[in-house]
Amino acid sequence: MTLLEFASGPALQWSLWIFVFGVTWRIVGAVFLMAKKDLSRARHKKNLSDGVRTMLSRSIPAHAFEKRIRFQHISGYAWHLALFVSVLFFAPHILFFESLLGFSWPHLPNTIILFTAAIATGVLIALLIRRATHHVQRFISNADDYISIVVVLVPLITGILAFAHIGGRYETLLAIHLLSVEAMFIWFPFGKLMHTAMTFPSRYQAGTSFGRRGVKA
Amino acid sequence: MNAQMASLHDFRNTLHGLGDNLGIEDMPDEERVSRAKKTFLRKLDGRKAVDLDTCLQCGMCAEACHFFEATQDERYSPVYKFRPLRRFYRREMSPMRWLYRPFTRDIGVEDFEEWQHLVYDACTGCGRCDMMCPMGINISTLIRVMREGLAAAGYMPPELQALRNEQRDQNTLFGVGKEQLKALVDKLRTENVNVPLDREQADVMLLTTAVEVSLFPDALAASARILNKTGVDWTIRSNAFEAANVGLISGDDPTLNLAIKRIVEEAKSCGVKTLLLPESGHAYQAMRWEAANEMGEALSFDVLSMPEYMSSEIQAGRIKLKAQSNGASVTYHDPCRLSRKSGVMQQPRDVLAALGLDIRETDANGRENYCCGGGCGEYVLKSATSLRQKAFEIKRREFDETGADAVVTGCANCRINLLIGADNSGWQTPVKSLVETVAASLAD
Repeated sequence: MTLLEFASGPALQWSLWIFVFGVTWRIVGAVFLMAKKDLSRARHKKNLSDGVRTMLSRSIPAHAFEKRIRFQHISGYAWHLALFVSVLFFAPHILFFESLLGFSWPHLPNTIILFTAAIATGVLIALLIRRATHHVQRFISNADDYISIVVVLVPLITGILAFAHIGGRYETLLAIHLLSVEAMFIWFPFGKLMHTAMTFPSRYQAGTSFGRRGVKA
Repeated sequence: MNAQMASLHDFRNTLHGLGDNLGIEDMPDEERVSRAKKTFLRKLDGRKAVDLDTCLQCGMCAEACHFFEATQDERYSPVYKFRPLRRFYRREMSPMRWLYRPFTRDIGVEDFEEWQHLVYDACTGCGRCDMMCPMGINISTLIRVMREGLAAAGYMPPELQALRNEQRDQNTLFGVGKEQLKALVDKLRTENVNVPLDREQADVMLLTTAVEVSLFPDALAASARILNKTGVDWTIRSNAFEAANVGLISGDDPTLNLAIKRIVEEAKSCGVKTLLLPESGHAYQAMRWEAANEMGEALSFDVLSMPEYMSSEIQAGRIKLKAQSNGASVTYHDPCRLSRKSGVMQQPRDVLAALGLDIRETDANGRENYCCGGGCGEYVLKSATSLRQKAFEIKRREFDETGADAVVTGCANCRINLLIGADNSGWQTPVKSLVETVAASLAD
């Protein structure tokens, strides 16, 4: 079995199993702790709309805060948008998703993908440097914070190298890229990459709990 | 020196000796850790688990915290203030605890020693960080659990212990009990302000506070004049007049429950339809949002704050005001627990507008408002004196930028802290009570 066969066969299969089982386990485990029913009289009873509004509104910081977190705000948008475009609209990625899901969608030209991947990589490196140097972020950070950045950064870099055929045979570069993505799948449920699955439930519950008190959170 | 500042100085003298004979509560270290863990275990539910699992450790919450803004001390990042709770969750409760446990340090007495300063001196539970968090994490609730854990472990600051003991054991605060209340009611009667004390049945039961009785008697007189003007059937019950809840602010659950129970049982025995809270943000939080849960059943009466009550009575035409025509301007300081945590933001502004005042908003207001710096009992803590003054300076800057003639607020504790800050720094802008402002403009 070649390295590429291993990366695209058993390694992919196992990493996806760990990813799916781990994410499900962590969500179900947290939700199963349950919360008591609030017996106080709600000021505002539109739970669903309060929750959904906060799911959206927390993407835009309030006026009083925006000026103090401008870097995080802009870099956050740049990073996530560039990553999503690079992952979801690169033709080979779409072929991969089609093999898993059974359907596909249009892709973007390679030059655009290369540009967005470079943006994502650059922003992530900037965020890594900031985490290591900014006095608050450095102080509050633990291993998870660094590992979670590295396991996302490496697939980006190996993907760009494989795309540009730099540093070795294409098959080897592709295998390394796949293995790095699989490492990310394996780490995902154990570290803070889980925020991908938890952010909207967390925002929703903030919206409903503040909403019942009449506060647009 | 005016009469109010003289009273404030007397009150500050009372605070100086508070808890001087108390320290860290005596118990074996194992007992401390065990009690803190039991508290954490009881308080962590699915909602808090989602919050703890979602935190990105981005550190943006630091930028919402007045104590961080004032000092740039990274230990004051809200995310750091609940760190031991997060470690406990990861070791003992997380679905991934089997993996996290070997890599996560257990909580211990050394944590309590460090975090006592962080969660009592350096957090007023104002919840501004809750509004900043891009993940929607209710950070202040997690820090409150930290306070509760530390209180259980014997690390409640001595000043709060003294007040907790007094409220729990004697049903008084700052030495103010039913005798002092009766004396004030008698004094007000001589000033033609009728306070119907201890009526057996009433539609409305008004609470007051030891702080009002001893330091701001004009606020109680103002509430009485307003209620008398509306013609409502009301009373104050001397057995349960105290709205302040030291259990809530200190993290002592049994006292939180006891103080709530005293009021609820008294209100039930009077057959009240409405429980009316005086100017106290945390007292409103306790009775409006926590009382039903503490009692284990929905309350049989409405709970209203004075700003809500005044706003609805003005709207209904039962309170008529002499609108001020001198162009006076005010800025409203939102008490955190009344505004951001309870949704009472528009009502006080409606009341001020009805008075014809020029309302000038601070840059951060309403749900993004800065705390006065002394909430959640912090104004009684000697160890927080310097930090509190630094946070006050942020408020002072915001107030000054409005150019308003006066600050009006709906919380006596905010008012005390702002007056103390002003007293320390020679700041001259008057800090007024909303009920007193309204009562001064009641039309005949």
